[in-house]
Amino acid sequence: MDYIYFLQLTANGLVIGLIYALIAVGLALLFGVLGIVNFAHGELLLIGAYAMAIALPAFGLAYIPGVIVAVLTAIIAGWFIYEVFLSKLGHGEFERSILITMGLSIVILNGIQYIFTATPLLVNTEFGYAGVSIGDIRVAWTRIAAAVLSAVTFAALYILLNYTQIGRAMRAVSQNRDAALMVGMQPRKIGRNAVILAASLCGLAGAAVAPVQLVQPYLGQFLVFKAFAIIIIGGMGSIEGAVFAAIALGVIESWIGGFFPVVWQEAAGFIIMITVLMLKPSGLFSRGGMRVG
Amino acid sequence: MPLLAIIVVAVAALLPLVVSSSYILSVGVTMFLYLVAAMSLNVIYGLLGLLSLAHIAFWGIGGYFTVIAVMDLGLSFWIALPLAGLFAGVLSIAVGFPALRLNRHSFVVVTLIFALLTTLVARDWVSLTRGPMGIPGIPSPYFFGHEIAGAYSFYYLSGVFALISLLLLYLFFTSRIADTMRAINQSEDLARSQGVNPTAYKLLAFFLSAFFTAMAGGILAFNQRVIDPLIFDFFFMQAFLIMVIVGGRGSFVGVLVAGAVMSILPEVLRFSVDLRMVLYGLALLAFVTWAPNGLAGWIREKREERLRSELRQ
Repeated sequence: MDYIYFLQLTANGLVIGLIYALIAVGLALLFGVLGIVNFAHGELLLIGAYAMAIALPAFGLAYIPGVIVAVLTAIIAGWFIYEVFLSKLGHGEFERSILITMGLSIVILNGIQYIFTATPLLVNTEFGYAGVSIGDIRVAWTRIAAAVLSAVTFAALYILLNYTQIGRAMRAVSQNRDAALMVGMQPRKIGRNAVILAASLCGLAGAAVAPVQLVQPYLGQFLVFKAFAIIIIGGMGSIEGAVFAAIALGVIESWIGGFFPVVWQEAAGFIIMITVLMLKPSGLFSRGGMRVG
Repeated sequence: MPLLAIIVVAVAALLPLVVSSSYILSVGVTMFLYLVAAMSLNVIYGLLGLLSLAHIAFWGIGGYFTVIAVMDLGLSFWIALPLAGLFAGVLSIAVGFPALRLNRHSFVVVTLIFALLTTLVARDWVSLTRGPMGIPGIPSPYFFGHEIAGAYSFYYLSGVFALISLLLLYLFFTSRIADTMRAINQSEDLARSQGVNPTAYKLLAFFLSAFFTAMAGGILAFNQRVIDPLIFDFFFMQAFLIMVIVGGRGSFVGVLVAGAVMSILPEVLRFSVDLRMVLYGLALLAFVTWAPNGLAGWIREKREERLRSELRQ
C-alpha cells in the first residue's frame, strides 16, 4: 500500500472530520446548556446548505457572501425555534425535547422536499472544481475552503467560550446549572445564545458541505447520524470531546473506506460508539463527578 | 367494553364480504400492521418511558429476515416469521444492554443510531440484501394448500395476526409485569428498593416490542412482494411514534383508536407523502406542546376534573 494513497485518504478524512466537528460541537453545546438532544440539528444544517445553494448564484459564485447568508439564515431559523418551542421546555424534560425537535425536523425536511423536490442540487463556487497539489496529494479548493472555514471557526469558538462573558456564562450553566442560577444568571438568555451559536455552526457546516457533496433533503440526516455517535464517544456535553472524536472519526472512516468494503465505513462510528459505551459509558472526555444531564 | 371489542372484530372480519375494492382492503392490511407496531412501541415507550427509535430497524429486519429465510434458505413462511421475531428480539437485547448502561438519554441516541445503521447495512451489504435494488418476486405463502396472494387473503392474514398479537399484548398490558414496569417508570429508585431489577424488565419490554414489530414487518414485505431499503424509511418510525403520542402513551385503547384513525385518515384525505409528513409533524408538535399525554390522557384529566367538582358539591 503506497503512502500517497494513505495521505490522500487522511487529507479527505480531516476535511470531513472538521465538518463533523462543527455539527457535533453545536449538539454538545445544546446538550450541555439546555439539556436537550436536538433532532432538528440536521435540518438547521440543511437550511444552511440550501441557503448557500441559492445565495451563491445571486452573488456571482462568491464564496464568503454565500457563507454569510447561510449562517444568517440558520441563525434566524434557530432563534425562531428557540422562542416558539424550546424556551417553553422545562429543564430535564428530555423526551419532550426530542419529540418537539423531531416534529420540527419532520416539518422542515418534508417542507424543503415539497418546495425544492428531492432532486439533488449541484453547487458550483468561484473555485470551480479545481484543486491544488501538495506533493502528490490532490485536494479540491472547495475542500480546503471547508477546512479553513472550520479551523477559523474553532479558533473563534475557543476565544468565545473561554474569554468572553457570553461564552463563560454558557459554560457555567452547562457545568453546574443550579450554581449558575444562584449567582443570578438568566437561563433564558443563555439558552437563546447557545441556540444561536449552535445554529450558526450548523449554517456554517451546511455552507461548507454544500459544494463538497450534492445538496439534497436527506443530507442533514446522514451527517447528524455521525454527530450523534460522536457526542456519545466524546462524552455528552463535552465540547473538546466532540471536536477530538469528530476529527478522529472522519479520519478513521476515510481510512476504512479506502481499504475495506464501504459497509464498514458506515458501521465504524456505530461500532466505536458501542465499544465506548461498554468500556466507558460516560464517554472518553467526561469530567469525573460533574456530569451534566 | 368486551362487547364493543367483539363487534369491532366481527365488522372487520365481515368487511371483505361487503367491500370488494382491493384498495380499501390494502389500507386495512397497512392499518393492522401499523397497529401491532405502534402497540409494540407502546410497551417500551408507554409502560417504561424509554423512547426507542429502533422500531423502524426491527420492522425492516423482520421484513428482510423473513424474505431471506424463505427465498435463500428455503424455510416455510410460517417458520420464518416467528424466527424473524426471535432474531429481532435477540438483536434488541444485544443493542439494549449497552444502550441501557448509561441512562434514558443515551438509550434514545443509541437506538436512533442503530436504526440509521441498519438502513445503511441494507443498502450496502449487497451480497445479502441485493442492495438498493431490493429483492423482487417474493413468493406467496401457502396455508394448507391455499395460496395467500392479493389484498383479500392478506387482509385476513394480517387481520388474524393483528388480532392474536393485540390480544397477547392486551393480556400483557393488564398483567402484573406491566404494573411493575409502570412502577419502574414512575420511580426507578423506589422500584429498586422493593427488590425489582429494572434492567431485566427494560430488556424484556424491548424484546417483546422488537418481536412483534419484526413479525409485522415480515408480513408487510410479503404483502408488497418486494423488499428494498425503503422499508427502513424513517416515515414508519414517525408514524408509529405519532400514533402512540396522539393516543396517549401507556394507554392500550387510546393507541388502538389513534392508530386506526391515523392509518385511515390520510388515505381518505389523499395527501401527497411530503404534505402528509408535514401534517404528521405539526400534529406531533401540537400534541407534545399542548397535550403531552395524548387523547387518553386528556380524557382522563377531564374525567378527574368532573369527579373533583362533583365531590366538592
